[in-house]
Amino acid sequence: MTATKKKPTKAHHKPAKARTVKPRRHRLHVPPGGASVTFSPTAMSQAMVDRLFWRAGFGPSANDRANWTGKPLDDAVDSLLNTPQGALLGAEPSNTGKPLDPTGNDTDLVLAWVDRMVRTPNPLVERMTFFWHRHWANSRVSVSPTQLLMNQNALLRKYSDLAANPDVSFRDMALEVSKDPSMLRYLNGESNVKGGPNENYGREFMELFTLGVNHVITGAKNYTENDVAQLAKSFTGWYIDDKDPANAKALFDSGRWFNGPKSVFGKLGNYNTDSVVDLVLGQDGHAPYLVNKLWGEFMPTPPPTATLQKLSADYVASGRKIKPLLRSILTDPQLFESIDEPNMIKPPIVFVSGAMRAMGLGITSTGPADYLDSMGQVPYFPPTVAGWEGGLSWLNTNTALARFGFIGDVIGNAPNGSPAKVADVPNETPQAAFDRAFGAVGAPWMSAGTRAAIQDYAGRASVKSSKDRIARQVMLRTLMLAGPDAQVM
Amino acid sequence: MTIQSEIQALKCADCARSDSAVSDLQPDSLLPFPADALSGWRDGKPGTAGVTRRKLLRNGVLGFAAVYGATQLSFEDVWESAVAQAAEPMGKSIVVIYLNGGNDGLNCFVPAGATEFAKYQTLRPTIARTLGPGTATAVGTTVMGGTNGTLAFSNKLVSGAAADQNGDTKGFDTLYGDGSGGAGSDLAIFPAADYNPPNRSHFESRDYWFAGALSQLQTGWLGRWLDVYGSTSNPLQAVSLDSNLSKQIRSSKAPVCALEGLQGVGFTVPGVTGDVNSEVGKLSTLPFGQGNDALGRSRGMWGLTVDVANRLTSIPAGAPAPGYPPNSGLSQKLQLAATLLSAGLGTRVVTIDWGSFDTHGDQLAGQDPQLTTLSRALAAFKADLTARGVEQNVVTLVFSEFGRRLEESDSKGTDHGSGGPIMLSGSAVKGGLAGEHPGVNVNQDGDLVVKTDFRTVYQSIISEWLGGDPTSILPGGPFPGVARYDGGTTLMKAA
Repeated sequence: MTATKKKPTKAHHKPAKARTVKPRRHRLHVPPGGASVTFSPTAMSQAMVDRLFWRAGFGPSANDRANWTGKPLDDAVDSLLNTPQGALLGAEPSNTGKPLDPTGNDTDLVLAWVDRMVRTPNPLVERMTFFWHRHWANSRVSVSPTQLLMNQNALLRKYSDLAANPDVSFRDMALEVSKDPSMLRYLNGESNVKGGPNENYGREFMELFTLGVNHVITGAKNYTENDVAQLAKSFTGWYIDDKDPANAKALFDSGRWFNGPKSVFGKLGNYNTDSVVDLVLGQDGHAPYLVNKLWGEFMPTPPPTATLQKLSADYVASGRKIKPLLRSILTDPQLFESIDEPNMIKPPIVFVSGAMRAMGLGITSTGPADYLDSMGQVPYFPPTVAGWEGGLSWLNTNTALARFGFIGDVIGNAPNGSPAKVADVPNETPQAAFDRAFGAVGAPWMSAGTRAAIQDYAGRASVKSSKDRIARQVMLRTLMLAGPDAQVM
Repeated sequence: MTIQSEIQALKCADCARSDSAVSDLQPDSLLPFPADALSGWRDGKPGTAGVTRRKLLRNGVLGFAAVYGATQLSFEDVWESAVAQAAEPMGKSIVVIYLNGGNDGLNCFVPAGATEFAKYQTLRPTIARTLGPGTATAVGTTVMGGTNGTLAFSNKLVSGAAADQNGDTKGFDTLYGDGSGGAGSDLAIFPAADYNPPNRSHFESRDYWFAGALSQLQTGWLGRWLDVYGSTSNPLQAVSLDSNLSKQIRSSKAPVCALEGLQGVGFTVPGVTGDVNSEVGKLSTLPFGQGNDALGRSRGMWGLTVDVANRLTSIPAGAPAPGYPPNSGLSQKLQLAATLLSAGLGTRVVTIDWGSFDTHGDQLAGQDPQLTTLSRALAAFKADLTARGVEQNVVTLVFSEFGRRLEESDSKGTDHGSGGPIMLSGSAVKGGLAGEHPGVNVNQDGDLVVKTDFRTVYQSIISEWLGGDPTSILPGGPFPGVARYDGGTTLMKAA
C-alpha cells in the first residue's frame, strides 16, 4: 500500500469554499418516463428501505428488507439509533492467514476498521464513526504512535454509538477532541505554548470543525484573523504523555498556558480550552455549519433554508445533542429524493464494505485496503485535514477501473470455500443464470435498461464448457456489482 | 515495455548496454496526461474560460510524460498549446523506428543476381536465404519489383501463410507494391545506407545517426528541426515512447517529452475472455434522470474508460481491426503512436526504440522472428493510421546503426559491418528502390560498400516532407539528392 508515503498537505490545503445555501424548492425527483413516486413514511417501499440502509449503513441485507418493507420509517430509524453496536458478527479477520496487527503495520490498521464495517450488526455506528473521522480528519502520515489514532477512533465511536450513549453532545465531543493526543499531535497543539503559539488547531477548529469561513446561511465572515490568533492562545497548555502509547493522555500544564486576557469575537476573557470551545459553539454560524455538513453525509442535495434553520434551532435547543439531530435528518423526506433512481455516489469505503456484506465476505487479504487506495479513500489516511472531497469527484477513469477491478478480483479469483466462489451449473438457462447472480450479490438496484442489457449478455455468452459457464456467472455478478448503476445509492 | 520473447539475439558483451536514450539530462517536469485528451475534451478544452487544471484532471489520468526543454512550462501552457496546434490542419509527421543493435540488411534484401547470389551463399553457408520458395534449411526469397531481378525480399518480410513467410496478409511486399513509386507503391528502400568511412562502434555510430552528423552532438537531428520549426510550448510535438528521451529529439530549446505508455487498459474480469469492455460500454450509454448528476457521472466515467481503452488498444468500433502482431512491444508502441497522432495533440515526431538485432551468433533464431514482426507491424500501422484518417500525414522511417559483415561468423551469426537498410513507409512516399544497392561489393575491411549517405535521406525528409531548410539542421550539407535506382531524385510522390 502506498498510502503511507503520502505527504501530509494540511499546511497547504485549500479550504473548501463554504456553501451558501440558496433557497430551494423542496422536490422529489421524478425519473424519466413519469413513473409516479409514492413516498409513504408509514409503510416503506423496498426502495425506501434500500435507500435508508445504504445512506445510513452499507446496504440492506435480506433481513433488513424483510423486517422493514411496509413498516414506518420512524421505527426503522429509531431501531438504527437505539441498537447498540454490540459484538461483531462472523469470522475474525486475517491478513493472508495471520491475525491482524494494527499497531504493527498500517495495512492491518486499515483492514481492522474495514472489518468492523463489514461485520457490525448496526452499520449506522460505523457510518457515523467514519463521518466523524472525515470531520475531525487525522492522518497516520503524521500521527505516531499508531495507538493515538486507534484511541481517537474509539473516542469517535463513543459519539456514534447512540444507543449506548444517547445523550452525547457535539460540545462534549469538541472538548474531548481538543484534548485528544492524536489531534494535539496532528495539528500541532502540543507545540502551541505560551510565548510560542501555533495557530494550526485554532484555525482549523473554526474553519473546518465548527464554523466554516462564511456563515452557511447569511454568507457573512464567521471570524477574523485576530480571532484565530486569540483562539490559539486560548488553546495553549497541553502536552502529550505517550510513554505508554495504548494509554497516552493529554496533560495540562498551567505553565504552558497563556494566562491573560484574550479577545475572541470581540469578547474579552481569560479563555482556556473549555471556555473557548463554548464561546465558539455559541456563535450563530456553528449550528447551520454542522447541520449542513452532517446532512451532506446522507444526501447529495443541501437542505432547504427553512429546514436548515429549523434543524439548527432544534440542535441548539437540545444542548447540541447528536442523536436528535441525526434522527431529524434520517427521517427527512428529502432522503428519499429520486427514489426510483439512486442519486448519490457511494464513497469507496461504502462501496467496498457494501459489496463485501452483500456477498458475505470477510477480510482475508490486503485486497480491500489496496483497492481502497486505488479508489482514493484509505481510512486513517485522509489527504488533508479537510478530509476527502467526495461527491462527484470520487469517480474518474482511474477509480472506475479500481472499483471494477476490486469486484472482478473478489469474484473471479475467489478461493475455494469462499462465499464468492462461483459454481458451475450445467444446462442453466440465461434467465436462471441471471437470477442466480442477482441473488448472490444481494439483489442490488439496477435500472430497467441495465437489467435488460445484462440479461441480453446472459443470453449471448458462450456456455459450451464449464469454464464458459463459470465465466458467464462471474461476469454477470461483476456487471451487477461494479457497473455504473452499482456506484450510486 | 519489452516483450521477453523478442529478446533472442545473442549480443556481444560490449553491446549489451543500450544508450540510445539521453542519460545526462533530467526531465524538467512530469506532465499528467488527462483521459479527456483522448476523448475530445468532453468537459471543455484547455484554454477556454473556466477550464482549470483541476477540471482537466478530474476525469482521470492515463499516464505521465517526462518533459524536457529549456523553458519551464505549466500544465495549462502545455495543454492549451497542444489544443491550439490541434486546431490547425494536421502537420506532416514522422515516426522513427530505431532497430537496436545493427540490423543485417543482406538477409532482408538479398542480392539476387546469379553471380552475386552465389558469392552471398558461399560466404554465408548456414544463414543464407535461398532463391525462390524456402526449403527445410533456408528461408526463401521473393524478387522485388523495379530492381531488374537484382534484389529479393527475404520471405520473412513477405505476406503469406507459407512456413518461411510472415504469416499475415500484409507485409513489406504489400507496402512496396510493384516498386514503381506509383499508387500502391508506398515503401522506399535504401539497401546499404551509412556514411564514409563507416564506424563499427554501436555507440558512436548510433550517436551519428541520431545527431544527423558524423560527430557526437548535444542535439538530435529532429530536435534541431524542432528548435527551428517546432512549437515553443508543446512538448507533445515530439514524443519518445520510452521511459527516457531519445537522442534523436533532444533539442536545445524546443520542449519534447518521453512517454512510456498510457494506462487505459479498459475493464477486465478474471477468467472472462469475451469483450468485457464492450459489455460495460452498453451499460454506460443508457439514459438517466434529468438532474441525477451522480448516475450521470457514473455512466459517464464508465463510458470514458471504455472509450479511452478503445482508442488506445484498437480503433473505434465499426472499423476493421488493423491486425498488429500480438504480444509484441513494437505493436504496443505503434498503437500508442497511432493514438497520439490521431488525437489532435500537435504531435509531429514519435520515436520508438525496438528490438535486439546484434546477431553475432545464431542469427536466424534472433533476426528472423523480429523481421516477421517488423513487416507485419509496419503494415498494420499503416492500416491503423488509414482507419483513423491520418495516414496521409504520416511517414515511418526505419533504420539501424549499421549493417553487418557479408561473411558469416563461426557462431552462425554476423559481426558489425556497414551499409544497413533504411526503410521509409507511407502513402506519400515514392516506393521502390530509392538508393543504389552494392550487391556483394565490399570495401577493404570486408564490409558492404556504402551506397547511400544516411544524411541525404534526412535531407530529403526535411525538404520534401517535414518542411524547412535542411542546411540549417544537418551539418556538412548540402548533400547530393537521393539517387534512385530508377534515376529519380525525389523521396516523396509528387503532391
